[in-house]
Amino acid sequence: MSTEDYDYLFKIVLIGNAGVGKTCLVRRFTQGLFPPGQGATIGVDFMIKTVEIKGEKVKLQIWDTAGQERFRSITQSYYRSANALILTYDITCEDSFCCLPEWLREIEQYANNQVVTILVGNKIDLADKREVVRQRAEEFADTQSMLYLETSAKESDNVEKLFLDLACELIREAKQNTLDNSENSPMPGEGKSISYLSCCSLN
Amino acid sequence: MSDLGIVCKHTNVSALNEETIEDLTELEDLEEVYLQLCNEQKQVQAYLQVLGDQQGTIENKMQLLQRMRPKLQLIEGDASQLGGMINFTCSLAENVSSKVRQLDLTKKRLYQAIQRADDILDLKFCTDGVQTALQSHDYEQAAAHIHRYLSLDQSVIELSRQGGESSSVETSLALLKEAEVQLKALVTKRLEEAVAADDLAQVERFFKILPLLGLHDKGLALFANYLSNQLASKAQDNLMLAITSDIGERRAPMIFVDTLTLLLEGIARVIETHQPIVETYYGPGRMHRLLSHLQAECDKQAQSVVDKFIQNRDYQIKFQVVQASMLKGVSTEKIVLRELDAVLSEVTLMNSRSELYLRFLRRRMLADFEVADATTADSVSQEHLQDVECLLKECELSRRMQELIGCYIPMEEYYMRETVNKAVTMDNWEVGQMTSSMVDDVFYIVKKCIGRALSSNSSDCACAMINLATNLLENDFREVLVSRLQVGYPSSTLADLQRGVSSAVILMQSSLQHGKIHTHIESQEQAKNAYLVTLNNVDVCSENISTLKKNLESDYSKLLNQGAGSEHAQAKIDSCLMDMVHTSSKFKDLLQEGLLELNNSAIKSQVKPWITNFLSFSHNIEEEEFGEYEANDPWVQQLIVQLEQLMAEFKDSLSLAIFDALTSLMMNFISMEMEKTVFKCTFSRLGGLQFDKELRSLVAYLSSVTSWTIRDKFSRLTQMATILNLEKVLEILDYWGPNSAPLTWRLTPAEVRQVLSLRVDFRSEDIKRLRL
Ligand SMILES: Nc1nc2c(ncn2[C@@H]2O[C@H](COP(=O)(O)OP(=O)(O)OP(=O)(O)O)[C@@H](O)[C@H]2O)c(=O)[nH]1
Ligand SMILES: [Mg+2]
Repeated sequence: MSTEDYDYLFKIVLIGNAGVGKTCLVRRFTQGLFPPGQGATIGVDFMIKTVEIKGEKVKLQIWDTAGQERFRSITQSYYRSANALILTYDITCEDSFCCLPEWLREIEQYANNQVVTILVGNKIDLADKREVVRQRAEEFADTQSMLYLETSAKESDNVEKLFLDLACELIREAKQNTLDNSENSPMPGEGKSISYLSCCSLN
Repeated sequence: MSDLGIVCKHTNVSALNEETIEDLTELEDLEEVYLQLCNEQKQVQAYLQVLGDQQGTIENKMQLLQRMRPKLQLIEGDASQLGGMINFTCSLAENVSSKVRQLDLTKKRLYQAIQRADDILDLKFCTDGVQTALQSHDYEQAAAHIHRYLSLDQSVIELSRQGGESSSVETSLALLKEAEVQLKALVTKRLEEAVAADDLAQVERFFKILPLLGLHDKGLALFANYLSNQLASKAQDNLMLAITSDIGERRAPMIFVDTLTLLLEGIARVIETHQPIVETYYGPGRMHRLLSHLQAECDKQAQSVVDKFIQNRDYQIKFQVVQASMLKGVSTEKIVLRELDAVLSEVTLMNSRSELYLRFLRRRMLADFEVADATTADSVSQEHLQDVECLLKECELSRRMQELIGCYIPMEEYYMRETVNKAVTMDNWEVGQMTSSMVDDVFYIVKKCIGRALSSNSSDCACAMINLATNLLENDFREVLVSRLQVGYPSSTLADLQRGVSSAVILMQSSLQHGKIHTHIESQEQAKNAYLVTLNNVDVCSENISTLKKNLESDYSKLLNQGAGSEHAQAKIDSCLMDMVHTSSKFKDLLQEGLLELNNSAIKSQVKPWITNFLSFSHNIEEEEFGEYEANDPWVQQLIVQLEQLMAEFKDSLSLAIFDALTSLMMNFISMEMEKTVFKCTFSRLGGLQFDKELRSLVAYLSSVTSWTIRDKFSRLTQMATILNLEKVLEILDYWGPNSAPLTWRLTPAEVRQVLSLRVDFRSEDIKRLRL
């Protein structure tokens, strides 16, 4: 791992109820397959995929967390350092949609405030079993100012788009940040306001 | 004969010439032809002579041939006789070989017939045998007969039934079928009874018989029942002993680890003891089924241990208190940390034992399947692999352990935070120490907590604690240091004093998570010290984080070498540890910010007037003043003394690296200020010389207090001194352009002109006219 060959490195963490298809989404994206008989994830799984976006190499470190309750404390420890969160629910399972506010509370509590969150409704290939209409999810995502995307890990619908869009957004934010930072950086020798001092008024 | 040919040719030639001879008219020609013909005649005569000589031998040969004629007729007769004989033999051979083929076929059929007869005989023998064996309770013998019957070619039996001798076979078969059913029921019942009666000898006896009757699964299930009963009673005794008896003080906090260990080791031993008998009588590939049955009992017993653990240690209650206090930010109900510490150690060890046990099961089952699947298709062995993983992943033991670890992580985090807060609150600095006590304490705690998580043998658990510890260091603990730096470094001027006070107020107002700041700033001296100690702390933190990362890497690789975890787990741990590099650099950044602040408040404000003082002494001087300056240094010696005093304040309080960094910042400032000051001054020729002397003294002094070369920082000033020291304007060209040789100019041509113009005795036209 010494000669890292990439322009950006992002940590993406998938969260959401058990069985909504997080592992299938990751496997579809990283390995191009839909695993038959995918068992529940134990703890956290970890995969890496490097993609190229507009000529820049982007290394995506993808953490696929277990949805089952008893792994919650393990998965929570990954929120803080995540650049992006993929909050997944299953469009054929009303329950998994109803749990979203609970997940958002977790994000609020544990993630850093610059994290990019995208809401994903998975399993759209099961159209006849749909329990959550698209508009409802879109509205919900809107009120939380999240991006929203519907996918099918099985049919490979929107899976590539999900990760690539996310990578684009992360690059955009990273570029914005470095721009902001360079504006704030003190001139050499001038010793302008130091970041930790900027919060307290001195007179 | 060849001679003959030649002659013929010759005669031919002569014959061809016959007509031409007729046409000859000249004597000369005739004579020539004549001569030629004479020659030919001679040759022909000679040849005839040769032929005549051969006549005798030819005649001899002819006579010989004449005599052989009757013999040849004899041979012809023999030959045709031989031909006839060969023909006869050939058809005879064909005849024989076809007979041999027929014979072969017959022989094979004969064998088959014998086999069938044997089978039928066996069938009869088995029928009789089973009856007598059953009567004499010789189940092994009976089972052997049934096994023989079951291994008979069923199609042959079917054929014989259709054949003539049906009736006797029919009855045998019916009898055997009946005996089979009877025996199966009987042996199964006997095994069940033996299991119930806890009779090992009988259990083993009937366990060995069942596979002969094709009852592998039943046998394994009942055998597992027996083993389970054994395990259950022992496990219950152990658990009873654990919670009632008074074990020594030393092992008491580990009693549930010990109990679980006894249980799991007991099962492992049972597996090791009985694997050979299973392999011998049931063949390879059966361990998975046996272990699945055993695991059910293991799950049951492990659950009891876990339940008792939770009850006995108030595990759930502790967890709830921790959760409540983490949510609210303040702990309402305090947990005794020492108690928590013990329980956390216990629970990680319990998980570790369980991991080791599950790994043992995996190894055993995979090895067993490997033997069994050596010749089967990939898909089958793939399926077996999944069966193994499924059993391990979904057993209740795994699930309960996952639940325990799920609660352990927030509790460990709580423990880590609380003890870190304590260390911060009790932070203590002793004279002569670079850092204060909390740095060592905090890293000791963090290392301990992550180490404990590692000892659980679960990579997910270890990763989670690494994440949480990194987060604590990078945010909460760093905040503590930040807020201490925010107090600022008080300096002597009135304005700065005010500032120091206001910062102290801010400090007291700021509510640091959980902890309260006891360090009440009583005097400026203390505040100064606190700031410098904090800088040292920040630096050591950055280093400690890197060290911690390295140590954890080697600790984990040691675990890996012991066969724990996998490549995948290693990648996860590595990735989580990588975040520490970032954390370490954030402390480095903080150090840099703290140094800049120190430079701003303690150095710049002090040093600036000392340098400006340069202007109070004219450098537009003549011999007399120059001499006076020499006798009585006006500026630089005092500056050096002042700097010496100023830096002495820091030299002993800061670590060498930080002190060097601070000195470097100070030198940057000095050289910049000096430059600005020099541009505000005017110089005579001697004034230039004076400045050159002063600069040399300053640089010499500064070089003596640093471990690195500082000439670079002062190169612009040195070059300015060189310019101010020139005899006349044009002399600059001796140092400029192609003549600059060893000198790299740091001044632009415009700046060179500007410096030149500081000399009162240089004419501006001369300076303007310079070509630089
Ligand atoms: N039809 C359909 N089924 C899907 C899709 N994605 C996942 N599944 C199925 O949903 C089930 C659960 O999928 P997983 O990927 O294991 O779900 P998960 O979110 O990782 O579950 P946990 O690891 O327990 O948190 C599996 O049986 C998948 O085959 C999809 O796009 N369409
Ligand atoms: Mg999963």
